[in-house]
Amino acid sequence: MMGGDRDPWPPVQRPRFAWIRDHWRVSRDCFTLACRRLWSSLLVWLLIGISLALPAALYLLQRNLAAAAGQWDGRPSFTVYLQTGIEIGVAEGIADRLDAQPEVERAWVITPQQALAEFSEGLTITDALEVLGENPLPASVRATVADGVSEGELQRFIAEQSAAEGVDEVVLEKAWLERMAAISDFVGRVGWILAAVFGLGAALVTASSVRLVIESRLEELSVQKLVGGTDAFVRRPFLYFGLFYGVGGGMVAAMLVAGSLVALEAPLVTLFDSYKERLTIEGMGGPLVGALLGVGGLLGLFGALIATNRRLKQVELA
Amino acid sequence: MGSIALHDVTKRFDNGQEALRNVSLTFDEGSMAFLTGHSGAGKSTFLKLLLLLQLPTQGQIVVNGVNISQLPRRRIPRYRQHLGAVFQDHHLLSDRTVLENVALPLVVTSMRARDIATRARAALSMVGLLAKERLYPSHLSAGEQQRVGIARAVVNRPNLLLADEPTGNLDPALSREVMGLFVNFRRIGATVIVATHDQHLIETMGVRVIELDSGRVIRDEAPGA
Repeated sequence: MMGGDRDPWPPVQRPRFAWIRDHWRVSRDCFTLACRRLWSSLLVWLLIGISLALPAALYLLQRNLAAAAGQWDGRPSFTVYLQTGIEIGVAEGIADRLDAQPEVERAWVITPQQALAEFSEGLTITDALEVLGENPLPASVRATVADGVSEGELQRFIAEQSAAEGVDEVVLEKAWLERMAAISDFVGRVGWILAAVFGLGAALVTASSVRLVIESRLEELSVQKLVGGTDAFVRRPFLYFGLFYGVGGGMVAAMLVAGSLVALEAPLVTLFDSYKERLTIEGMGGPLVGALLGVGGLLGLFGALIATNRRLKQVELA
Repeated sequence: MGSIALHDVTKRFDNGQEALRNVSLTFDEGSMAFLTGHSGAGKSTFLKLLLLLQLPTQGQIVVNGVNISQLPRRRIPRYRQHLGAVFQDHHLLSDRTVLENVALPLVVTSMRARDIATRARAALSMVGLLAKERLYPSHLSAGEQQRVGIARAVVNRPNLLLADEPTGNLDPALSREVMGLFVNFRRIGATVIVATHDQHLIETMGVRVIELDSGRVIRDEAPGA
């Protein structure tokens, strides 16, 4: 500022709450305009919604897989395979001994007949004895591990049981869940990568849409700047457009994911049933819907900022 | 508050053409001047420099003691909020009503809606268009559109009023009325610069006349000279 202490163009006195009132007015106008251009707004919402839905769905899948693996990790089971020819009474004695251990929640005997029945289920053969001639399977004891047993304690306990008299082998049955945990980790990472790529896509879709709106209102913008509209004033409606597009896209994404969950729930439950495991699918929930709306809104704002910063600097009345 | 001084101002475009050459002029607060000259003489460029739509290639433009050609970008809106500008092609927004067009300079200052409406209607009343406040610009004649542009330029009670051919679409009687309006603004301290070809106005209004030719000042005549 040159010349004198006095500002020759003092800021115009803004009444109290003018800022809030301005935002309310602009947001209302933008919402009305977005609804008036419903078809193009729907297309933008759908594009952003699809971009957000895929990473959100993967995130949800990862959380469900991790939850399933986590549930199992808390109570893994193991099977004590006994040496061939062990009497059922000995097996029951081993089961009773295991049941009394603090590391074990519950232990029960699987008779050779029960073992054969399970084996037959796997082979889908009506009478496995016809194939095998006689039942070669020994009795075994199956046990679930008590809550709070650490991985190290469990490994030590399994090693002790393996060395016990009459025991042939002890198998900790969690291999497939370890694989599931690995898959869950992989799905999680893919989800983050897709979230970054599709998030950028959503921001660019918004930027492109907002730019179209800017181009259709160039004369208005140049007149606003001519009469003293600040950059913030001129930019404000477009940021709201970005916000509406983003939040709308988030809503579409939430609906797409919720719909997909409904469609996928039955086959997933069947899959888990085949592992004798009960699956409780974690649905969308308020926080995830809120996060989708929030992330959508932020991406929309970001896209709008890109568009406005690039274009509005060039806008002046020729 | 509206003194202007141009010191050796030159405006050269990228193609090498000089729209203004070494122009030095001063305008006292509350003064009024006609800027005249044939097409391409540099009148519009002169006004655009004062509106900060263009920057001088060399020289200084000092408004109220501030060299506006070095004004930071963030302070330009505040400077423009104290200006009024009238263009020959109006620059009215076709999807806004007459009242909304006139209110625009007040809306950007976040004034209360009630005050905006009151002042915008007062400006429309001054140009005789209050009855047409709800119409859209396309429903108005060229002369009426020009008057809406004038109402918009004066609605914020500017310190500096710049007009480019403001009476180009008006009949002689209305032209004099508009000029009378500008004179009133001058009386309350606004500096008024009007670019015009209208020789009749120039001869009858009795205000300072600056004539440009190929970007140079070839005449600067005070009233009564």
